Amino acid sequence: MNARLEWLLAGLLQYGSWLASIVIGLGLALSSMRAATIGIALFILLPTLRVLLMLLVFLRERDYRFTAIAALVLAIILLGFAVGMRTTTEPT
Amino acid sequence: MNNGFALWLFAVSLGASALGGMLGMASGIFIVPILTMFGHIDIHTAIGASIVSVIACSCGGAAPFLKGRLTNVRLAIVLETATTLGALTGVLLAGMAPVPYLYFLFAVILLLSAQQMLAKRGDPAGTSGSADTGSWAATLRLDSSYPDRALGREVAYRVQRLPLGMLLMYGAGLISALLGIGSGVLKIPAMDTALRLPIKVSSATSNFMIGVTAAASAGAYFMRGNIVTAVAGPVALGSVIGAVAGARILMIVSNDKIRLFFVVILVALGIQMLLASFGVHLLKGAQ
Repeated sequence: MNARLEWLLAGLLQYGSWLASIVIGLGLALSSMRAATIGIALFILLPTLRVLLMLLVFLRERDYRFTAIAALVLAIILLGFAVGMRTTTEPT
Repeated sequence: MNNGFALWLFAVSLGASALGGMLGMASGIFIVPILTMFGHIDIHTAIGASIVSVIACSCGGAAPFLKGRLTNVRLAIVLETATTLGALTGVLLAGMAPVPYLYFLFAVILLLSAQQMLAKRGDPAGTSGSADTGSWAATLRLDSSYPDRALGREVAYRVQRLPLGMLLMYGAGLISALLGIGSGVLKIPAMDTALRLPIKVSSATSNFMIGVTAAASAGAYFMRGNIVTAVAGPVALGSVIGAVAGARILMIVSNDKIRLFFVVILVALGIQMLLASFGVHLLKGAQ
């Protein structure tokens, strides 16, 4: 149905996972917690970018209903980041 | 945090993930019990590490499914509105839920997963027939087809009972965020019973969705400081490598043997988590 989108997504997720894994691996190997943290952040951003990519492809195809659905998912993920900044965990 | 501990985390995650990969399951369900029970790590830190590994496994394993046209990306993004909203709810609950509750809920999920693993899972009957499909799937053009290698032809399928599927997916997202797992235990009934998807499509689509669902909660946990790099780093790396290895081993070992092994581990961890929720620790020094 939409083979081009699927290949784009496959590429993003595959290369993104490699990049994030290598950054984490290097960070741990070199005892650089900062680098390892960046690698972890890359993994968290990767699905977010995946939704953004889908949004852009739907927009290009003038599929406005699905553009809106992707935008909603993206908004909820970003809301998650915002919620994390404002709440704390009960000390255990 | 010393190197030996990091190596232990790496090895344990690799093993758990290889095991999970053999049955197409996310490793998160093993990681939290192992880290809390054997590593004596705080449960929120364990959940934070586990959720990152869930993302890593989802993203790292998605490409072959996408290229094989097994993933229904349109259906995935629609269902993700429900799973991410559920994840957000889970994040809010995780901040308030007392730790023994989390242990208890985890025990329930482990035992349910064991039970589900024993039950045989078949392709839902009448996937392509029946005209009672809701107008939702038609309006959103969610029905699709996939190439079945065994049959050597395209298999068309319809998406059914979308509202019920969405409701179950909301629950799956909530549990995923609350416990740091992929929560296949709720996704499988949603996919099989409500949406009535062919197994291959449901596995691929569910794997694809897990990453986005987990990102919604991982973003919050990252900002909240629950994701501790010294723990999450080795766990994520071990999980990715384990998932790749697991998919390879799958070809060699008999499926039934792994299944039984899996059930035994799930039940054992479930019982331990259950005891821990009531303050009983079999392993000395826990908590």
